[in-house]
Amino acid sequence: MSEPGNIALQTSNLQVGFTTGNQNLFLFEPLSIQLVKGELVCFMGTNGIGKTTLLKTLAGIHIPFSGFITRNQSVAIVLTDKISGSLMTVRDLVTYGRYPYLNWWLTLSQRDHELIDHAIRLVHLESIAGKQLHQLSDGQLQMAMIAKALAQDANILLLDEPTAHLDLNNRVEIMNLLRRLARDAGKTILVATHELDLALQTADRIWLATPDQKIVTGIPEDLVLNGTFDQVFQLKGFDLKTGKIQHTPFRKVSVNLSGAGPEFLWTKNALQRNGYEVANDATLKVSVSSLHGMVSFYLETDKQTQQLSSIEELLIALRALTD
Amino acid sequence: MNKTSSGLVLLIFAFGLGALFLINISLGSVSLSLPEILNGLFSKTGMASEILWQFRLPKALTCILAGSALATGGLLMQTLFRNPMAGPDVLGLTSGASLFVAVLLMASHYSGLLLIQSSWSVAIAAGMGGALVFLLIINIARYVRDNTALLIVGLMISAATSSIVSVLQFTSQADDLQTFMIWMLGSVGSTNWSELLVLAIMVGVGLAISIALIKDLNGLLLGEAYALNLGINTKRARVIIVITTGMMVGAITAFCGPIAFVGLAVPHLVRLFMPTSDHKILLPAVMLGGAVLLLCCDILAQLPGSTQVLPLNAITSLIGAPVVIWMVIKTKRISV
Repeated sequence: MSEPGNIALQTSNLQVGFTTGNQNLFLFEPLSIQLVKGELVCFMGTNGIGKTTLLKTLAGIHIPFSGFITRNQSVAIVLTDKISGSLMTVRDLVTYGRYPYLNWWLTLSQRDHELIDHAIRLVHLESIAGKQLHQLSDGQLQMAMIAKALAQDANILLLDEPTAHLDLNNRVEIMNLLRRLARDAGKTILVATHELDLALQTADRIWLATPDQKIVTGIPEDLVLNGTFDQVFQLKGFDLKTGKIQHTPFRKVSVNLSGAGPEFLWTKNALQRNGYEVANDATLKVSVSSLHGMVSFYLETDKQTQQLSSIEELLIALRALTD
Repeated sequence: MNKTSSGLVLLIFAFGLGALFLINISLGSVSLSLPEILNGLFSKTGMASEILWQFRLPKALTCILAGSALATGGLLMQTLFRNPMAGPDVLGLTSGASLFVAVLLMASHYSGLLLIQSSWSVAIAAGMGGALVFLLIINIARYVRDNTALLIVGLMISAATSSIVSVLQFTSQADDLQTFMIWMLGSVGSTNWSELLVLAIMVGVGLAISIALIKDLNGLLLGEAYALNLGINTKRARVIIVITTGMMVGAITAFCGPIAFVGLAVPHLVRLFMPTSDHKILLPAVMLGGAVLLLCCDILAQLPGSTQVLPLNAITSLIGAPVVIWMVIKTKRISV
């Protein structure tokens, strides 16, 4: 745990939830939890467990039943809410980030303009700053929403599933950006996300909402090794400790694979995906070699050796030998 | 949309408004030329002066006030409810007003009370009806949390009041029914200077408040959660927007009857001319645009060269609807 001076946000006995009809629905046990300055925290948990409501409560836009939130710094939030005003440009949207500091006539100072430009540069949207929102892709819109939050110049950023519905490239880009902001700009960032793999590789700390309405916090690696993740997600067929999908060697054929580098790794992946077991003591030998950028695969049995030029050919040859 | 080009469009709108104002007061059963108009405006004697000061000027000014107020009300409602289908009458104000006017014109016969059916009594009835529905809506707005729920409540109130009005129409006498139907068709030609003064004050205050709300209105486009995060007091903004719209629309409905279409269509037409979501540009454009559209419709309603005057509501929708359809087809999209 860290010294008190480093804490950006802290809750004590916070009771979060909402009222439906006459009933108060409590989402979590009373929470006493903290965010440390400059840390990127991923907040994980199954759908509907209350991640969004907790984020909104921490941002002060949802009122808790009881308890306290101590935060010395301003908070900017990025939600999944749909926004209207599709005729506004990316720059107009980022300008919203300055609203807390503007008068009723929305007069922008030189510094406001600079902060807006800076936010747009950080998310690499300079080339489409003049585009209207309805012309953007989902990923670009998400980046623009993040730029808006950055223009708010808040020290704490709360993001609700910023990578949902995006392709791998955009997801990695957003997580890398958040990483950079935490490390270089000293922002405190809390991201609610379902992206287990990305969270494990980027987060400084994980908040994990458990089914018994608690939030377990810790370093990602610790939570993997002590089995907390398995408890929460009840992972089916995904081996968290190796970070791979589990394959069953259904062909009952073992292959002795040798080689190096990415060629070796991807050949191994292909073999396992196709139901071969990769073992050192197998009689069937496959070796991968790369020479001057040319990759060759050799399939060796007691009787013969075949040279093949792609993994696809290798798999066909293997199937011909063993079936 | 950059600042200079939007400024240019605003300037064109303003010039258009001036030109249409002159055309509007020159046309009628007696056509007046520009020198006659100038002479009539300043001399205060003679026939031209009589026509201008008694009929044409109040009517043209009412057009401008009603057009601005209804169009602004429409924009405020579309932004508040983040719904392109919203218009100034979604709060049920117009229905409340028509209910009370219907009671005044058609049921006074049964009650045995001899109500005086002057233009003021109709205005007061309409104002009371609008205000009552409005108080109801305001109170409901304090309890329901989201804006869509408020929209549904407004529509339900409209449905309920229209059914009472239908019953009244069904049981009323032919003469009363016709008086009511004529009121329902909307008119800008029956306001005198004292009524115009009341109208001008209420609309003027409403428009001024709308301008003061620019930041809140822009913020509401992002939805309540984002607006709150940007430091906008959404609860207060919502109440002020509802009160402002209610006041402007109530005043117009009281004196001119329920004028259809302008409030719904003008914000869309304006956005098609100047594609922006910024209320700093939209609000003045919508105010000018509403006035321009209603002046146009009134010119057409007078059937140039004839003494016949067509009902205003028939013209606003007949001319406006195809224009909006055409522009929507042309740009293929509509937005808030």
